[in-house]
Amino acid sequence: MRSGPYVVTFLTGAVLIAIFFIPHYRAQQVQATILEWADVVYAFALILGSISLWTTHQKRIKTRAPGWIFSYVTLGALLFITTAGVVQGIDEGTMVGRLYNMVNAPLASTMFALLAFFIASAAFRAFRARNTEATLLLVTAVVMMIGRVSIGEFLWKGFPPLTEWLLDVPNLAAKRGVAIGVGLGAISTALKIILGIDRSYLGRS
Amino acid sequence: MGDGLDIRWFDPARANLLIGVAVFLAFLVVNIVRARGGSHLFIRPLAGLQALDEAIGRATEMGRSVLYLPGLGDMSEVGTLASITIMARVARRTADMGCDLSVPCYDPVVMAILDGAVRQAYIEAGRGDQFRPGSVHYVSAQQFAYVAAVSGMMLRERPAANIFMGSFYAEALFLAETGNQTGAIQIAGCDQVTQLPFFVCACDYVLLGEELYAASAYLGREPIQLATIAAQDWAKALAAALVVASLIASVLGHPELGMLLRTR
Repeated sequence: MRSGPYVVTFLTGAVLIAIFFIPHYRAQQVQATILEWADVVYAFALILGSISLWTTHQKRIKTRAPGWIFSYVTLGALLFITTAGVVQGIDEGTMVGRLYNMVNAPLASTMFALLAFFIASAAFRAFRARNTEATLLLVTAVVMMIGRVSIGEFLWKGFPPLTEWLLDVPNLAAKRGVAIGVGLGAISTALKIILGIDRSYLGRS
Repeated sequence: MGDGLDIRWFDPARANLLIGVAVFLAFLVVNIVRARGGSHLFIRPLAGLQALDEAIGRATEMGRSVLYLPGLGDMSEVGTLASITIMARVARRTADMGCDLSVPCYDPVVMAILDGAVRQAYIEAGRGDQFRPGSVHYVSAQQFAYVAAVSGMMLRERPAANIFMGSFYAEALFLAETGNQTGAIQIAGCDQVTQLPFFVCACDYVLLGEELYAASAYLGREPIQLATIAAQDWAKALAAALVVASLIASVLGHPELGMLLRTR
């Protein structure tokens, strides 16, 4: 029997929908408490996540899977950061804080910077004029690129206003169309979950 | 207000939203009744979902795995909920075909739920013994650490099919482009408007916005699930009619209708 989780889902969903319309401070306190519970659940799930990470990499080392040597780095980092965090805490100036600022943040920035190259390769593929739609995309992209740099205005004064129009009219209209669909779809999906029409999250088809 | 605390039991500024939810619920009830009464509810074919079987079949024939990415959303995001439903169907097909499945996760709560859903799918397919513990596994809750790890998996393990379903952000193009370079068949579904162009560029099939949410009804074909899609379409038609009506009213010098539709 899995009616317990379903009842909890229904009650939580119904209460949170009701609270959205109730600005009373007591109702807002209830919402804050429910959100705190979500944080507690996350903390416990993080332990499960760490166990999963450990067993996955342990298996990779055992089976000598491709790139298994890097699994030692992952496991070593997991152990080290966990120990340092437990011993010293995670505030600014601690070992975890310094590693976050000096190792993690620059690595993340480096990865993010690579996005420019990925955009270039994806754009090269997307902008090949294979058919009418792709040609339209190519022409629009060229106008956008020229219109957003200073040389665009130098070449023709109409480029910047044209790019603004492209962004504010056809682009925004399409985005809003998708956004309305997404909004209604989100309500529909949420209701399916709350009313128990869709129970796949409970491991049921 | 008393002592600076809000003591109102209803926010009148949200009355329009309450009416909207009530109307949507009414549409839902009417369509559920219609579906139970045997009315035929049409749902247009979604190429991305039709291609799922083809992608899993291709992976099986090539003896390679299927990589399923549930996105970076947590359980409070509707895209993640939709992804779990699709994941269950994908797992059922991989179990039927005897294909290996790998699901690297960003959120540990989502990982725990997906693990249960995949396990159940294998049991329902009568192949519970073939479920590989660890096929659904946690990677990292750091966005770019996750990207690096999953890109590495794509390049080393070369899955034959990459399926991206859920809420994706800046990592969308990294993952889709890396997958494209490995030659895998790629199917994406995303509810983040700003990431859709990246998936369109780099993937073979894309579910745009709400199509991600419609996937569970499409795959399941249960009448009640289809009723939710019909209700959604009715609501969309009503929204379009209200937008046009408020536009005409504004042009005629009556912006009140447009003001009523504003949300807070």
